[in-house]
Amino acid sequence: MSTPPSSRGIGERLQHWLPRLVLSPSFVLVLFFVYGFILWSTWISFSNSGMLPDYTWAGTRQWSRLWSSWTWGIALHNIWVFGLLYIVSCTVLGLLLAILLDQRIRAEGTLRTIYLYPMALSFIVTGTAWQWFLNPGLGLERTMHSLGWESFSFNWLIDANMAIYTVVIAAVWQATGFIMAMFLAGLRGIDGEMIKAAQIDGAPTWKIYGRIIIPQLRPVFLSAIVVLAHLAIKSFDLIVAMTGGGPGNATAVPATFMYSYAFSRNEMGIASASAVFMLAVIAALIIPYLYSELREPRS
Amino acid sequence: MSFLHIHNVHKRFGETHVLKGIDIAIEKGDFLVLVGPSGCGKSTLLNMIAGLDAISEGELLLNGERINDLHPSRRDIAMVFQSYALYPSMTVAGNIGFGLEMRKVPKAKRREAIQRAAELLQIENLLNRKPAQLSGGQRQRVAMGRALVREPQLFLFDEPLSNLDAKLRVDMRTEIKQLHQRLGTTIVYVTHDQIEAMTLATRIAVMRGGELQQLGTPQAVYDDPNNLFVAGFMGSPSMNLITARIERHDDALVARIESPAGDVTLPIVRDRAALETWCDRDVILGLRPEAITDPASANRQDGEIFEATLEVALVEPTGADLYVVTRLGGRNINARMRPGASLSPGQSTRFAFDVSRMVGFDPESEARIRDDAAAAMGTAAQTETLGQNA
Repeated sequence: MSTPPSSRGIGERLQHWLPRLVLSPSFVLVLFFVYGFILWSTWISFSNSGMLPDYTWAGTRQWSRLWSSWTWGIALHNIWVFGLLYIVSCTVLGLLLAILLDQRIRAEGTLRTIYLYPMALSFIVTGTAWQWFLNPGLGLERTMHSLGWESFSFNWLIDANMAIYTVVIAAVWQATGFIMAMFLAGLRGIDGEMIKAAQIDGAPTWKIYGRIIIPQLRPVFLSAIVVLAHLAIKSFDLIVAMTGGGPGNATAVPATFMYSYAFSRNEMGIASASAVFMLAVIAALIIPYLYSELREPRS
Repeated sequence: MSFLHIHNVHKRFGETHVLKGIDIAIEKGDFLVLVGPSGCGKSTLLNMIAGLDAISEGELLLNGERINDLHPSRRDIAMVFQSYALYPSMTVAGNIGFGLEMRKVPKAKRREAIQRAAELLQIENLLNRKPAQLSGGQRQRVAMGRALVREPQLFLFDEPLSNLDAKLRVDMRTEIKQLHQRLGTTIVYVTHDQIEAMTLATRIAVMRGGELQQLGTPQAVYDDPNNLFVAGFMGSPSMNLITARIERHDDALVARIESPAGDVTLPIVRDRAALETWCDRDVILGLRPEAITDPASANRQDGEIFEATLEVALVEPTGADLYVVTRLGGRNINARMRPGASLSPGQSTRFAFDVSRMVGFDPESEARIRDDAAAAMGTAAQTETLGQNA
């Protein structure tokens, strides 16, 4: 207001437009490459596309082909098994580790970092490492044999019925530390006087956790589950590195299904349909969460 | 044998010596207030009584039983916390009944006890609410209900009113006092607010830097402070502390105080023998604002009034009183006059000093100079006699 009128015009107009100007390139890029291609994929899923995009309308043909595909059935079943085990194990183990770390132990900082390290690795590294470790000819089984335990056998990685569980083990190993950190932050936020009050009230430690502390961690549970659920649905690189979707199609998940149909089987239409389906599932998870998170401060 | 006996209790956190040998004993039904500035160790002492902090040295006896090593839940105590520490996932009834539930009291009995406590605190209509739906005052009541319902031997309060607004704080203070009178419970209460201490306590323990400064009835602590710290800490506005020289004029022992309008000499009537040894030396005199008045409102029946003319520096009306500030001994001195007195700064007026209430302090050690040296410190021996007298 104190600026002279001559410079006010330019200065104020610049102030008004500068943020928009700076943000507009990224806005345009996101609009085109994210939302544009979402629309494009959706369109492709209703087209006759094979190896190359073909824009002739095919109605729900690709969608019905997707749902009658045997591999897609396996992929859906796997994602259920994987997702459920992954979310439950990470949450339970993460909470357990957080509670143990919360007992004012020595070297807590170091331990916390160690548990968090796996999160710093890429899924490819995790997958490769666990593939070596669980490979009967290379890793655990062979080590046990060379140590003299000849009857030891752990061949889940090459067992079509069990391979998906090895992926769960590796994924849990990677994410548990992160979930533990989330729970630890939640535990640290709990009023210490409340725990003292419960002690005076005569509650044993496990009841203090069960009745007073864990019920207060509800928002952390919600965040952890949302984070884990979308990681589970997106899981791709870990499986590619560890099992390549095999043996056979035993560890196929929707993401590997989409990749193989789009790029090796030349079925862009089906691949797009599966991609759109995955997007819809993730959106169904994330949108209510974001809605509840963003709405809360106002009430 | 006293009901709660804190005997030579020390607390050390590594190198820091937080409590340096505290001795306090109270009787059943006493309301002990631990008061002092922050960091004086009062909350640590309370936590040690509760069993939430370990005792480094010394003994804690409750009803004759040594409770040093008992788990908090087995000490038969209940505690009300500053943050109320209500369990957010439980209803009010669940909160109040949790201690009973943990002690495996049958459900019907529990419900009865919850109902009784709720009636006592007038929160029956809140029993099904969650703590988040309550106001500060209501949470405070629930926290008290949680303590009351178990009918423990000893109640501990850790600054329970400090999170309430000023008006509510006064109301709750009254209510706590009423509860204490009605139930006759024994209470240990921590606060930094000396008004709370004065109004609630039957015994006040003034603490500073991990040491007990004085233990006594509120009136004793107020009228007969052990040292400069207690004198300055208790009372609002605080005690006037004036540098004066003790002199002998003929037969009389007097304190000569410098003032811009010429020296004022006040006769010494209290602790005369002790102050006599301070002849021709400087001491610090303590005189409460209400012991310096206008001549008309001076209490000539109980006190010994001595008048002097001084210049008014400042007038502070509070409605109920008129605080008049004057200069004495190089300091601002507060006098409490009747509200009608029409005084203005610069004007000279008569001040009436009640010298029977005047106390003297050693300027070096800050200790009280008094005739009865045995009553000097709040020792265990003294506490026990006090307890018997009460």
